[in-house]
Amino acid sequence: MAELVNLTIDGISVRVPKGTLVVDAAKSVGIDIPVFCYHPKLKPVGMCRMCLVDIGTPKIDPATRQVVRDEKGQPVIVFGPKLTTACTTPVSEGMVVRTATEQVRAAREDVLEFLLASHPLDCPICDKGGECPLQNLTMAHGPTVSRFDYDLKFHNDKHVPLGDLIFLDRERCIQCGRCVRFQSEIADDPVLQFHDRGRGMEIVTFSDPPFDSYFGGNTTDICPVGALTTADFRFKARPWELKTTPSLCTHCAVGCNLALNTRLETKTGGYEIKRVMPRQNEQVNEIWICDKGRYVHHFTRAEDRLHYPLIRQDGKLVETTWEQALRIAADRLERPSAILVGDRIANEDAFLIAQFAKAIGAALEQRPALPAHYADVARAVGIGSDADFKQLGAGDVILVVNGDVEEEAPVWFLRLRQAVVDRGAKLIVAHHRSTKMHRYAAAIHRYEVGQAAKWAASQRADWLQGARNVLIVFGDEHLDGSSARALAQTLANWLILGGFAGKPNSGLLPLYPHANTQGVFDMLEHATRPANETTDTLWLVGVGADEPAPRANFIIVQDILLTERAKRADLVLPALSFAEREGTFTSGDRRVQRFYRALPPLGEAKPDWWIVQEIARRFELPWRYEAPAQIFAAIAQQVPRYAELSYERISRVEPQWPPMGREDLYYGGTVYDNTGGLGARYAADAERSALSPYDVHVPEPTLAGLERTPRLLYRDGELIRRSAVLRAHIVAEPLTA
Amino acid sequence: MEAHHLLREKRTSEIEAILAKYPPERKRSAIMPLLYLAQEEYGYCSPEAMREVAEILDLDPTEVKSIVGFYTMFFEHPVGKYVIDVCDDLPCALRGADQFVSHCERKLGIRAGQTTPDGKFTLRTVMCIAACDRAPVIQVNRVYHYDMTEEAFDRLVDALANENGTGEAPNEQKQGLDVL
Repeated sequence: MAELVNLTIDGISVRVPKGTLVVDAAKSVGIDIPVFCYHPKLKPVGMCRMCLVDIGTPKIDPATRQVVRDEKGQPVIVFGPKLTTACTTPVSEGMVVRTATEQVRAAREDVLEFLLASHPLDCPICDKGGECPLQNLTMAHGPTVSRFDYDLKFHNDKHVPLGDLIFLDRERCIQCGRCVRFQSEIADDPVLQFHDRGRGMEIVTFSDPPFDSYFGGNTTDICPVGALTTADFRFKARPWELKTTPSLCTHCAVGCNLALNTRLETKTGGYEIKRVMPRQNEQVNEIWICDKGRYVHHFTRAEDRLHYPLIRQDGKLVETTWEQALRIAADRLERPSAILVGDRIANEDAFLIAQFAKAIGAALEQRPALPAHYADVARAVGIGSDADFKQLGAGDVILVVNGDVEEEAPVWFLRLRQAVVDRGAKLIVAHHRSTKMHRYAAAIHRYEVGQAAKWAASQRADWLQGARNVLIVFGDEHLDGSSARALAQTLANWLILGGFAGKPNSGLLPLYPHANTQGVFDMLEHATRPANETTDTLWLVGVGADEPAPRANFIIVQDILLTERAKRADLVLPALSFAEREGTFTSGDRRVQRFYRALPPLGEAKPDWWIVQEIARRFELPWRYEAPAQIFAAIAQQVPRYAELSYERISRVEPQWPPMGREDLYYGGTVYDNTGGLGARYAADAERSALSPYDVHVPEPTLAGLERTPRLLYRDGELIRRSAVLRAHIVAEPLTA
Repeated sequence: MEAHHLLREKRTSEIEAILAKYPPERKRSAIMPLLYLAQEEYGYCSPEAMREVAEILDLDPTEVKSIVGFYTMFFEHPVGKYVIDVCDDLPCALRGADQFVSHCERKLGIRAGQTTPDGKFTLRTVMCIAACDRAPVIQVNRVYHYDMTEEAFDRLVDALANENGTGEAPNEQKQGLDVL
């Protein structure tokens, strides 16, 4: 436990850890000291002067080094001649802070008057209007009238593109530098800086390409004015028109918590996602999300979303009824069948599919197929259920093997980088190519493409000895199934033999391709049976276009979009996207989290679990589930690892630090408070019982793995292609160097 | 990104000497001396020069641009052969700097902040350059000229206009300042 310090703020006694800043100490007892440049996730700079307060400290007798006391025995407090910035001053024992004096009030008013002198006051057309810290703090602390002639207002460039995704309005900017510091301190992509000084100071980029950071959208959230806006949201809606629904990102294994902002649109006659925002979960994504998660949502209202079931007649797909579609599907599934399941569908869907496949004796496989070769190992020696990325630091070793963390799990990149750069964890990287993680590595290992398992097998496991914790992040880039399994097992053995397995902040962290790779594996595990050449009917549930599938006489495609695959199907079943339904995903670190319905259903499309259940009922399976919550209860009963979990438990929220959202909008930026649940991790096998090391067979790598494109963030795919703002960023070519 | 090597080819040993002054892991500290070198070579901190300095120091070009933008003695745009900085801060103003600046503008036929069409002179007004005791004061290519008068300025400009020399002004009261 850190050393605690006692102080008084506006007469309230406060006890906080040594090193806490006055602004945070005040916040912890509900006293809001207004700030612009300060952000609890960034290093303080004291630039905006908004947080000026009156700070006094006990008078010390220079001779005795003792606190001087008055006749009543109380310490004599000496206040400084001037006000002090609360955001740069750490607390000290006996400190007395006054935030409500006339001097402080006048200082706040003066600072706001200076800021507003250069501010265009175009709130009526500003995207931040309604959720703007400058508006809020002006209402709370600012002068009621301006002493400046409006016509003499300082003007500057508007609509300056810093890249194709972010626009800068130079006259709205108050030069707080939050965006500059975010890009330098958090994203380590310092493409924004100040230029010039005084009145001429402005934010510039001189990088090539310009502002094209994977995390750039976050700068628009923490911008305390409407200076930075995204190409996706600017001029699209006013904040007060938006409805907010807790959701999850489906695009990688991190499981970032999202808030979907929707609005009823007369033009299209329904609700639409206007903006995707981060939702605070300090255990998962803190308050950040990557740009893919922020901008890729347009597929939810793509023109080729499926509204009705389609059946092939005379070579063409034509609309049909659910009754007919379900009857045909059931009829065809009477024959030798295979079901392939994508890893973006919810646990509830996958659970029913597994039960169904078992009941009718159908083959069942997960897609992409590769993670199923090692997901059991990753789960067995996964990080502890109480693991906390914030605790990783000095004394810990982070090992990244065959993974490109920034590309495959961007927010984990932010978290691991901070553990290394800010808190002193030792990073070791092994890969066949360079990644951004290499910048922070204390040691770098290289091997030939596809040889990760062989490299790992050649290492001595005792090199991790002496570490406090060992976190091993690994990916399957350019590996085939047996190599990926051998790699996972070798890494697991290091943890088991080194005594790290089962420790909270030690374990494997797999870079799975999608949001529910682990969950789908957990649900399918005991029903999985490979498809063979006898397949007559093939049912593809949310399977990517480039995934291999066995030949079949009749192909049923269940998807949300008329994908290339759906266009070639015999029967197409329209599913609802994650935004139109609820369910749960299990992240790469085994956190089971809920997502909620943000949009009304589209046409006659149905949730995947409903479709499966309706087909199953035609096989006389006695299912009568009305909602995912009931299915999850069945999962908790039948899937042992999920036994401790329930919707009630994973929906639980508790206060998080720093406070975000609600009234603290102006303190942290436009992040959303978590009302949907923080989720819960199920225990790794190693936490329940001691594991014996795996018997590893390292195979000769085959070409199968080499042909696969690396999992780059903006790799081409059916979903990203439907997001116009991201189209220019799509990487179609495999990465070589 | 295309690589820029001009400075490294032309000033190899000087770059090495500058880098040698700083520990390798702190080489970003060499940013200002390298920018002076680049400015000396090209006359100003051209976009290419800033990118090359960024490459030498493993910095993002935006970080270099920011430094150039902050310091008034780095030029982001081409300047005249002689950059004349006239102080118009308070002590110089009390000794008639405002009038003096007007005279300079008239003499050169340009406004402060501009460059003569022949590319010979750039005139700027600057904040205090720390020679208040001998105000008004100007700097010509970083060389100080004290106790300026309109006549002295005319003599100086005429002399510079007529010679093809080094930027050294024919004024016994000058004093050099070696920033490198």
